[in-house]
Amino acid sequence: MAKERILKGIAVSKGIGQGVVFIYETKDVEVAQTPAPVQYPDKEVARFLEAIARTEGELNNIKERINAETGADFAQFLDAQILMLRDRDIISAVSEAIEQEKTNAEFIYHRILSMYAKKLEASKDQYLRERVMDIWDVGTRVLRSLAGLTHSSVVDVPPGSVLVAHDISPSEAALINPANVLGIAIEVGGRTSHTAITARALEIPAIVGVENMLAKIRNGEQAIIDGNRGIIIRSPTPGRVQFYQSEIKKEVEFQKVLSPYCELPAKTRDGRQIDISANIEFFIEYAHAKRYGAMGIGLFRTEFLYLTRRGNPSEEEQFRVYNELAKKMKPDPVIIRTYDLGGDKIFSDYREANPFLGWRAIRVCMDDLDFFRTQLRAILRASVNRNIRIMYPMISTYEEIKKATAYFHAIKKELHGEGVDVDDDIQIGIMVETPSAAIMSEQLAAHVDFFSIGSNDLTQYVLAVDRGNERVSHLFDHFHPAVLRLIKQVIGAGHMAHIWVGLCGELAADPLAIPLLIGLGVDELSMSPVAIPKAKMVLRALTVPECERIAERALAFRSAGEVKKFLRRMITKEFPAIGGIIGGAP
Amino acid sequence: MIKENITILNENGLHALPASRFVKQAEKFASNVTLTKEGVKVSGKSIMGILTLACEKGSMVMLTTDGRDEEEAAAALRKILEGQD
Repeated sequence: MAKERILKGIAVSKGIGQGVVFIYETKDVEVAQTPAPVQYPDKEVARFLEAIARTEGELNNIKERINAETGADFAQFLDAQILMLRDRDIISAVSEAIEQEKTNAEFIYHRILSMYAKKLEASKDQYLRERVMDIWDVGTRVLRSLAGLTHSSVVDVPPGSVLVAHDISPSEAALINPANVLGIAIEVGGRTSHTAITARALEIPAIVGVENMLAKIRNGEQAIIDGNRGIIIRSPTPGRVQFYQSEIKKEVEFQKVLSPYCELPAKTRDGRQIDISANIEFFIEYAHAKRYGAMGIGLFRTEFLYLTRRGNPSEEEQFRVYNELAKKMKPDPVIIRTYDLGGDKIFSDYREANPFLGWRAIRVCMDDLDFFRTQLRAILRASVNRNIRIMYPMISTYEEIKKATAYFHAIKKELHGEGVDVDDDIQIGIMVETPSAAIMSEQLAAHVDFFSIGSNDLTQYVLAVDRGNERVSHLFDHFHPAVLRLIKQVIGAGHMAHIWVGLCGELAADPLAIPLLIGLGVDELSMSPVAIPKAKMVLRALTVPECERIAERALAFRSAGEVKKFLRRMITKEFPAIGGIIGGAP
Repeated sequence: MIKENITILNENGLHALPASRFVKQAEKFASNVTLTKEGVKVSGKSIMGILTLACEKGSMVMLTTDGRDEEEAAAALRKILEGQD
C-alpha cells in the first residue's frame, strides 16, 4: 500500500472532499507514424470511426452541460465543432488514405486536419483564422480517443472522484460536475483563477498552487482534499480518514443548525433590514441563491459567458441568459456586472507587465465600444423584466462614468427607436474597488444609483499587495484600518447622496466583519450563495447601536491584527450567541 | 440540376454559425449540394469545405443542387446564404 503523503497548496474553496484520484491530463498526444504498415487497414478505419463516434458523444455531453448552466442555447459554437468532427470530406479522405497507405489513423488524421488548418490560417479573415482553434480542439479529442485516453474531458469524471490536474482551462472548468467531483486540486493558479471561482461557485472543496503534484499522486488512489487548510493527502492513514470523517460530520451538523436561517428574514435583532444577496458566476446558480435565501443577485459575473464562448457572445445569446436569470429571480433584483475581463483574455497576443493596473474591465469596454454595445443592448433588452440593474467594474475616474452612461443612454434611445420595451428606471451603479473611486466617492455618488464596494480588489489596491504572490500575500488583510476607513467613507458618501451602498467582496460573508459593516451602515451584502445562512444567523443576533459603537472604535486601531483582536473580544461580549462562529478569521 | 449564383448577404459572411446551419440544412436533403467560389468547388455538406472557401459578405458563390429534392434544397439553402432564415 502506498504511503500517506501530504502536499501543500493554497486553500481556495472551503470544505473537505475524500475520494478516488482522477487525474485529468492535458498533455499533448503523440501522432507519430507507426514504423510497420498497418496489417488490416479496414480494422484501422473502423477504429478511427469508433473514435469519431465516441468524441461525438463527448461533445454532445458538453453541449448539454453548457446549455443547462447558461439556461439558454448557449453552446451553439459546439455545433460547428460537431460538424467538423463528422465532416464527410474529412472522414472519407482519412478512410481512403488509411486503406491506400496502410498507415495508422492518428498519423493520417493529423495530416489531413493540418491541411485544412493551414488553409484557414492563410485566410485574410481573422475570424476564420481563429477557427483553427476549433479544428484542433476537435482534433485533439479524437487523437486522445484513438490513443485510448478516456480522460480527455472533465465531463468524464466518475462519481466519488477528486479531480487532480496541472491546470483546467476555463471552458473545461465550466463542465465540472459537482455531483461527481468531491474535491479539486491543481498545480497552478491562485485564489482568483477560474478554477478557484468555479469551485467556490459549485461549492466543491478546492486547493490550487500544489507544485509538482502530478509526480507524487497516482490515478485511482484515495485522497483527501482539505479546502480549509489548503492541503491534499494522498493515501491517507486510517487515523487520518477517521479525523476527517468527524470533521465532515461536524460540518454537516453545523449546516443543519444553519438551514432554518435560509428562510428567515435578513434583519438585525432590533429590526434593521439588510439586503443579503448572492454573487453568482453561472446562470444555474440562481437555484443555489434561492435555496439559501438570497434576496436577489448582487453580482452576476458575465466573464464566464465570454470565456465559455471564447469570443464575444452575440446579443441574442447574451439576452437569452440575462432574460432567463431575470425571470427566475423576479421580483428580486439582478445586478449584472459588465465584462470584467483583462485585455489578455480578449486578444490572445496581448500581454502587459501589470495586468491589475492595466487594460481591463471598463477600460477595455471604453476602447472597444462595439464589444460593450453588444452587452449593453442585451442587458437593456432583458430589462423588460423590470428587475435588472447594471454595474460597471473597475471605475477609477468620473469621465468613465460619464462616457459609459452617455453611451448607455444612446443605446437605450436606439432600442426605443426600434420599438423595444426597456426599463426606463433601470438603476446604474459602479463597483468601488479602486482607491481613486473610494476617495472620490462623494463626487461620484451624484452620478450613479448605487455603489457596490468590491472589497477584495479594493484591499489589493489600497495595500499594494498581490494576494496571488506567495511572498507578499500575508500582507493582504481586508481588516486593515486603511481599507475599513475607505469603506466608511464610501458608505457615508453614498448615504449623503441618498443612494444605497452594498459590499460584494469576501468581507461581506465574514462573521467577524458583518457587525462592523452593519455599524458602518452598509445597506446590502452580497456573497456566495452557500455563505448566506451563516450571514443571516450573525445578522439576526446583532443590534445596530452596539454595532455602531464597535465600528467607531475599530477604526481607531493601528493594524489589521489589532482590529481583529478587538472585534473578537467585543463581538463575544456584546453578542454571545454568535461568539462560537467568529473563532478563526478565514 | 439547379445552378444559381448567389451573393452572400449574411452579415458576417459564411462564418461558423451560418455555415453550421447551412450544413445541417443541406444534410436534410437527398440531393448533392455543392458551393463554388472563384473556381473552387466544395461539398455543401462539409463544414470544413465551406469554411475554407472563406465567403465574406458580398462575395459571389454558385450553389448547385442535384437530386430528387433539388428544388426544395435550393430554396432552403438560398435563404441561409442570403441571411434571411
